Amino acid sequence: MKNKFTVALAGNANVGKSVIFNQLTGLHQHIGNWPGKTVEKAEGTLHFKGYTIDIIDLPGIYSLSTFSIEELISREYIAVGRPDLVINIIDASLLERNLFFTLQLLELETPMIMALNQMDMAKKKGMRTDHEKLEKLLGIPIIPTVAVTGTGIFELLEKAIETIEKRANTKPLKAQYGKEIEKRIEKISNLVEKIQFKYPARWVAIKLLEGDEEVEKEIFKIDPLIVSTAEKLRREIEEIHGHSCSTVITSERYEVASRIAREVQEITLPIKPPMRERIHTLTTHKIFGYPIMAVAVLSIFYSIFTFGDYTSGLLGDSLFGLKPIFEGMLGTGVVGKLVWGGVMEGVIGGVTVALPYILPFYLILYFLEDSGYLSRIAFLMDNLMHKIGLHGKAFIPVMLGFGCNVPGCLGCRIMETERERLLTAFVVTLVPCAATTVIILGLVGAFVSIQWALTLYIIDLLIILFLGRLAFKALPGEPTALIMEMHDYQMPHLKTVLKQTWFRLSEFIKMAFPLIIVGSLIIKMIEILDLLEPIANVLNPVTVTWLGLPAITGITLIFGVLRKELTLIMLATLLGTTNFAQVMTPTQMIVFTLVAMLYIPCIATIAALAKEFGWKKAYFITVFEILFAILIGGIAFRLLMLA
Amino acid sequence: MELRLSYLRNGESGIISSVGVGLGRGRGEYRRARRGWGFEKRLEDMGLTPGTKVTVVKSAPFHGPLEVIVRGSRLAIGRGMAERIFVEINR
Repeated sequence: MKNKFTVALAGNANVGKSVIFNQLTGLHQHIGNWPGKTVEKAEGTLHFKGYTIDIIDLPGIYSLSTFSIEELISREYIAVGRPDLVINIIDASLLERNLFFTLQLLELETPMIMALNQMDMAKKKGMRTDHEKLEKLLGIPIIPTVAVTGTGIFELLEKAIETIEKRANTKPLKAQYGKEIEKRIEKISNLVEKIQFKYPARWVAIKLLEGDEEVEKEIFKIDPLIVSTAEKLRREIEEIHGHSCSTVITSERYEVASRIAREVQEITLPIKPPMRERIHTLTTHKIFGYPIMAVAVLSIFYSIFTFGDYTSGLLGDSLFGLKPIFEGMLGTGVVGKLVWGGVMEGVIGGVTVALPYILPFYLILYFLEDSGYLSRIAFLMDNLMHKIGLHGKAFIPVMLGFGCNVPGCLGCRIMETERERLLTAFVVTLVPCAATTVIILGLVGAFVSIQWALTLYIIDLLIILFLGRLAFKALPGEPTALIMEMHDYQMPHLKTVLKQTWFRLSEFIKMAFPLIIVGSLIIKMIEILDLLEPIANVLNPVTVTWLGLPAITGITLIFGVLRKELTLIMLATLLGTTNFAQVMTPTQMIVFTLVAMLYIPCIATIAALAKEFGWKKAYFITVFEILFAILIGGIAFRLLMLA
Repeated sequence: MELRLSYLRNGESGIISSVGVGLGRGRGEYRRARRGWGFEKRLEDMGLTPGTKVTVVKSAPFHGPLEVIVRGSRLAIGRGMAERIFVEINR
């Protein structure tokens, strides 16, 4: 007897799926990405009554079309990964739209049970749901649950095992479309049945009629005749209905969902608008919404960076306190220098720069997202973000980027399509982070003028505007547009938020730390081998001739890769003074700051980019920004000389 | 009368008559109609299918997105998208 199973969780966004996932799996989780994709894959293991069950949390989606990579990954996984069971989690208070997705899952003809979640919320909204009737109509087992209190989770597991073991003799519902469509579905599926294909024939037939490009492409490779037949039949349906075939099928599927919802649910609307409604009205109000948002965003910003600063200082002090111990053990020779200056300072850099900011960031991001406020911010900021080719949701990562680019890049996962994610990340890496601000203020602000510091800031924002639009035009794909659910406000489930934060944080450490350590080791080696000067000389054509900077700045810019504020610290060390006015002209300071501001996302940001988008894109963005910074710096130098 | 969804006043409801650029006859036009297909499909997947009642609650200032209620759920729809949704209303 087999006692190891795989179960996939599928459902809309915001139905409490991640809460159920966390209730089921406890502390045995692994968070990674789907192979080659920027979509997060959460897996967990659970032991129950002698069974070992692997749980895969599929992304929260509304359909199984090709709109987003999440949808493609989900259907691909269910069809090819063949989990032993799919648990469809639905929000009982939004039955109709959730059932629309359920019907599509059923079309994949996979063994399935349902968790009818948010039963408490539905009750509060005056909805009475007859889950037994729903069970009969859908032909799959249904367990009512309230994920946040853990109600029904045990029963859900028992039912899951029972269903897998019995190879259930249930007869799941097949959504019936109009006669003229059914006839054509049958024609196509008869053809599809003759070929070997990973998806069920009926599903393929429906997708071909809908004009699903991915399915078309794959079937075309096997038998082009099927695709052309489907195309002909699709046109016939379009002639009959006057709408695109995909519209007709979607409408009819919704019709079925709507009918079922009406049959199993009675709604008596509450007389008084509940608290969450009033909060919604206030937080999206055309006047009050903005000050509320400003206060919220600023306090988030403030709390992340006060916490970060404080913890960072504390950790830095105590870790640097270890220096004598290390030197005592390893001496101050090459080994000692490499271990301390390379490995340990890298670790300290990682610990003090990234962690203190990423921890509160993840916590707050999940709170914002799970409570529903994130979608309200996106609603208010949509128009502004369109100016840089993004939409409302991108506001959060971009705003966070002003503090530190790392959480900004990690936050891009809230965007929906791969394209939007990459565009947002690109913009984020151009945003001047706190360290960049230190350089702007510490060099130009202190030694040229505060107006010039402000000007540099404005130039950076203009560059973001320009490059954002340019990237938006250059990157192929659908235009960016906001279509977003604003789910009811709800209290985030604290345990889920904490767990999500913890697992994401440890993933980041695993990814970024080796890179940070290797990077700092390499730079230390260069220093020990006395290669700094030769490298600075190699860079001379760029730094001295093109940018008009002192040769020594080449070295500081190399150190800036580790942490941007190091450029300033190294400059002081190498020049032997903190009064930069003595050794650099105002023009040089402005050009230097401009280059430092734009030239590279620091190594932690590169690690974050690589984690989210893969090495190729991280590399591309890095190289592009170096070249771009040099270009802009050179132009600025020449313009300033003219002035 | 038929209006674009973005022209509805706050609190007004209408029945969706069509979404997107519609279907042309020739092959080229068909392909053109399929551009932006992803977002039309997305709108429909979110429940904005022809024949469905949609209520505009309000719109965000500065030409921002619309807040609509459709099939019992609350959606935010960017203005560009809302301009591609046609609704039938009684005024």
